[in-house]
Amino acid sequence: MNAALSLSDILVRPDVWRGRLAGAEVPALSSGFAALDAELPGGGWPRGALSELLADEAGVGECSLLLPVLNAMRDEGRWTVLIAPPHGLHAPAWVAGGADCAHLAVVAPESRRDLLWAAEQALASGAAGAVVCWAKQADPAQVRRLQVAVAGSDTLAFVFRPQRVRPEASAAPLRLALSAGREGKLGVEVLKRRGPPCTRTLYLDVPRPLAWRDDHDASLARPASAAAAARGPRPLAVA
Amino acid sequence: MIGDEVAWRAGVERGIGVAAARALSPGIALLARDVQREEMAMRTLACWAGSLAPRVVVTPDTLLLEIGSCLRLFGGLEKLREAALAGIGAQGFCVWPAVTPTPLGAEWLACLHTDACCSDTESTRVQLDALSVDVLPDKAATALVRFGARTLGEARRLPSSALARRIGAESLQLLARAYGECPDPRPEFVFPERFALPLQLPAAVENAAALLFAARRLTAALAGWLTARQAGVREAVLRLQHRRDETPVPLQFADLTADGARFERVLRERLDRLTLAAPVEALCLEATQIGPLPGCNRSLFDADQGVKEGIGALLERLTARLGDERVYRVTPHADHRPECATRRLRLFEKTASGTVPALPRPLWLLDPPEPLREVDGRPHRKGPLQLLAGPERIESGWWDSGERVGDVRRDYFIALAEDAAWLWIYRECRAGGWFLQGYFS
Repeated sequence: MNAALSLSDILVRPDVWRGRLAGAEVPALSSGFAALDAELPGGGWPRGALSELLADEAGVGECSLLLPVLNAMRDEGRWTVLIAPPHGLHAPAWVAGGADCAHLAVVAPESRRDLLWAAEQALASGAAGAVVCWAKQADPAQVRRLQVAVAGSDTLAFVFRPQRVRPEASAAPLRLALSAGREGKLGVEVLKRRGPPCTRTLYLDVPRPLAWRDDHDASLARPASAAAAARGPRPLAVA
Repeated sequence: MIGDEVAWRAGVERGIGVAAARALSPGIALLARDVQREEMAMRTLACWAGSLAPRVVVTPDTLLLEIGSCLRLFGGLEKLREAALAGIGAQGFCVWPAVTPTPLGAEWLACLHTDACCSDTESTRVQLDALSVDVLPDKAATALVRFGARTLGEARRLPSSALARRIGAESLQLLARAYGECPDPRPEFVFPERFALPLQLPAAVENAAALLFAARRLTAALAGWLTARQAGVREAVLRLQHRRDETPVPLQFADLTADGARFERVLRERLDRLTLAAPVEALCLEATQIGPLPGCNRSLFDADQGVKEGIGALLERLTARLGDERVYRVTPHADHRPECATRRLRLFEKTASGTVPALPRPLWLLDPPEPLREVDGRPHRKGPLQLLAGPERIESGWWDSGERVGDVRRDYFIALAEDAAWLWIYRECRAGGWFLQGYFS
């Protein structure tokens, strides 16, 4: 046997089957984060399949994770539909993040029934490029309906659900749990994906309003007086 | 007497008496002929037919469509005939169809319920030959029967000079027209300038959803009328007429459209949400905003066209069911006060290009801002907050002190909570106190 044979030589042999590539033919859109793309089947967010994002606390960068998707939709000239966002949209920030406000529709249904109806319609029509839905109270059967609705289209579908549904089974082919990571990063656990399970937690550099500094530490929260902070060394601006 | 299909199968035919009809079909419901409503229905159908045929002719008893020139568009005679019958059936009408190369031939064959479908003169001749002479004017028919000719075929076998003498030149002319031996020009149905069609309901309706079926006749007619005029509609109103007043149901579309299925979908969502104040006795559909619908070139492989249409239809459906104010777009607005920096737009309003802030701004904004506790001069939210950047003084709005937001004077900070959430908080400069206004999600 040739001692110089390297691993990469073996891997290109046609009779070597790699589990990691099992889902490579899934049509996907790069998430904009290389570390995440490497773990997602097809190298990005799946098109025509539901991606479930479990997140509890607002403000850890859970929406910034999707900003590259909105950027891509702007480039493709397709619509993004946000269904039942948890708070009001601050348009300047979305524009700064790269969203195209001309093709961003917000749907604010009154009831849970209307929410699921709207989500199903948006996913089933296949007309929107991306659909993001905040379904706090959806049960597994309803998530399955959403997955069935989106199957076969090329829509990117995201549904935000709380962390407490983590033990429940879900019909979504991709499930991620989002939480605050160290140093202002977003911690992403891949709970479920097509292909072999992913065991490590990823830490993504989602856009944050400030670069991380060593003295930023939420858990320490040093007892400096607010007045001192208000006099702080870096006043941003006065409007 | 004219019967529907069921009655006809029971043997209730043209010309029989009331007593005979009751004897043949004991459960028969006899209705007096309402010429005015009949005319209205014919007009509605004629409008609808605009989606199938370029030329439409209305006669008192029949609706004639010239389909010779559009067979290819619909993929053949059989398909066009099926489409026509399905369209009429969906509107709740019962028709006796006949297809022949001549309009009069089709008229006669349809009136006698032959269900003929002939595309050439030869088969038309065979069909017509078998028709009873009753289709001719009464006098001529009587004369022919006396002469021993009971069918048109027998009549035409008579020497033509003798035939002319017996039935008159006029009837002879009719025969020639039916057989395609001489031209038969007809005045075309003129599609009205404005579309406003009323529909009298047979009985007062109290359930909004039940109106959908009746309204289908009107939406189908609107689609046909639009096709004939090569126009699309952006706004239409369905007026539900009660005994004294009326309820307008506005139908709005994202873009110009002439698609009957889309009208129906939007209408269904509107009617589902509607509770009627009083029974509805009549409907009236009016197209309030129309525009020319340009034909578009579609490339052979590009599917983009369909996609663009799709989003309009989707958003319309959402708007129709959830309400105009629940489906919207947002755009930045030049105002320093965060509450005023976002403007809600209707879906297809034009967007002015907004300004992008130089400073970091949160994606989510709380409305109203959440008051925070202050402990030892520090803002607290599930623990003390660490202020990372600030203050950014925002002082603006002195001109609209009467408004909801009004004159503000605040120092904004970017804060980090103990659970590592990035928050946008401010301190009220005048009254004091800390507030959480946004999440850097």
